[in-house]
Amino acid sequence: MKQSLALRLLRDVTAVLVVGIFMFPLLWWGLTSFKPTSAIFNKDEVVFFDFEPTLVNYQVVLMGKSRAELAIQSGSTFGVGGASSYDSRQTIIDSIVVAIGSTILTVFAGVSAAYALSRMRFRGRQAYLNWILSQRFVPPIAIIVPVVFMFHYMGLRDTLLGLIFIHTLINVPLAVLLMKSFFDDVPVEIDEAAMLDGATRFQIFRKVVLPMVTGGVAATAVLCFVFSWTEFLLSLFLTNSIRTLPVKISTFVTSTGSEWGFISALGTSAIVPSFIFILLVQKQLVRGLTLGSLKE
Amino acid sequence: MAERAQIAMTGAAGARRSSRVSLRHMLSSEHPLPWLFPVTAVLIAFGVYPLLYALWLSLHKRNPVTRLSVFDPDWNWLKIFGDERVWGAIGHTYLYTSVAIVIELMLGLAIAALLDSDRKGYGVLRALMTLPLVVPPAVTGMMFLLMLDGSFGVLSRTLYALGLWSPAYPILATANSAMFGILLADVWQWTPFMVLIMMAGLRALPKEPFEAAAIDGANAVQAFFKLTLPMLSRIIALAVLIRGVDLFRVYDYIKVMTEGGPGTATETLTAYAGTIYFKNADFPYASTIALLTLILLMVTSTIFIKIFKVKF
Repeated sequence: MKQSLALRLLRDVTAVLVVGIFMFPLLWWGLTSFKPTSAIFNKDEVVFFDFEPTLVNYQVVLMGKSRAELAIQSGSTFGVGGASSYDSRQTIIDSIVVAIGSTILTVFAGVSAAYALSRMRFRGRQAYLNWILSQRFVPPIAIIVPVVFMFHYMGLRDTLLGLIFIHTLINVPLAVLLMKSFFDDVPVEIDEAAMLDGATRFQIFRKVVLPMVTGGVAATAVLCFVFSWTEFLLSLFLTNSIRTLPVKISTFVTSTGSEWGFISALGTSAIVPSFIFILLVQKQLVRGLTLGSLKE
Repeated sequence: MAERAQIAMTGAAGARRSSRVSLRHMLSSEHPLPWLFPVTAVLIAFGVYPLLYALWLSLHKRNPVTRLSVFDPDWNWLKIFGDERVWGAIGHTYLYTSVAIVIELMLGLAIAALLDSDRKGYGVLRALMTLPLVVPPAVTGMMFLLMLDGSFGVLSRTLYALGLWSPAYPILATANSAMFGILLADVWQWTPFMVLIMMAGLRALPKEPFEAAAIDGANAVQAFFKLTLPMLSRIIALAVLIRGVDLFRVYDYIKVMTEGGPGTATETLTAYAGTIYFKNADFPYASTIALLTLILLMVTSTIFIKIFKVKF
């Protein structure tokens, strides 16, 4: 089907326009993080680019400066008051620790189970797979109240370890199903050949098959990291003092008025790592989002 | 024996080596148990056990003062029938799920078809299109909360300027429109999910039927409805199931954008359970609502799977 030049041009313009519309909230969010308060809360006109860019918002959330300090520095009235609660350095560290910790646990547990499910034939294998799949579909709200009680008695409530465990729980089904699909791509003949040479199951796994699916392991790890990084409900219920980034940002919204400059600065800081990661695994994204059942 | 003694003497490092020897022995057998153990343990300890615990909670009446629980299955489960907020929440949950799925699927198909081109630049557009997927949903909620603000939000202001909306009714603070504000955030974040999956589906389609149809004089629209859609049906069903299950438990946007309000206009089941937990501290009832969510989800998705024969 040949398309005429006019049609092709129309398609290009539409495509750019549609993607542009989807990019607009991100652009607006990023712009807001560099705006002074007066430009954000301008009730007379919408300020697009006509403002003095400032790093104040980032200085407060990422460097722990207080607003009073900045007001003296810049000589402007930026509002006075303790801004220590907007200092988010500890939150960022906690979020990274939880995301990396749960990713390591998830990938370790998921890869070994996926290998067995891909290679071994045992009774109840399909039932086990269905069980894993069903676990992916349990809404977090259904388990959260008992988990809060459990963690309270186990001393895991409001701890990084507790968050690591619970993020592992929500990512394990994805890791198993996704990794199984990668193991399934490796021909079984390779295992059989190694077995004839006298290698044990573990040796085959470790030395032969695992090196062939490193791309899959990396994609799984990235997705687990991103899902832990962006998780909200469980972290909200399980923590009071430790905060992951999405929960911390949500506390910036107050009934007396939200500090949109700080919110957007921290929000932008939370988004950027996700973007970098997701661009790295573009090729495996469809497979990951469909739990390994659809390959591109 | 000598080796064993040496292991004991070298301490931690030796102990690790000895455990690796035994692990290797275990892993050399064909038994799947050692391989499945970590996953099974995590899922039972933090998934299955809490679910049973939730069931236990929902079947007991808890005295908030003495903290003693008495077996009384009617207490929480019958309360549901007299609780109008539950019925409202069920309605909102189904409305939200179905409206979002229809919009996201249709937009997703259209955009996938639009961006499915090998020409220069389209790869970049496709990559950009995936970005909303990885924004933390709580942050997405914030973005739209800012843009929909009644007095300085850029989207609200644009709608006012175009005469499409009156400043007298802030979108998120008006009962009739608040849900649309939240749906907007959901559609922005998850339409790319549909785009990606539909694009993968389009790419996998065989060329021959389309060539044959073109020779027979079918136009692009006919080809889309007569060929593309039927051939994509399996993938569409799969995508709708995965997305639908996540939509059914929506929480993040509602929590940060409206907290279920104004009134209870945007309160879904998960949001209501959260409110009972945080505001009323009635933990058994919160668990009961949460289990009700799970039951409705299971029934609905099973019916869907049976009707559309979804296979993973």
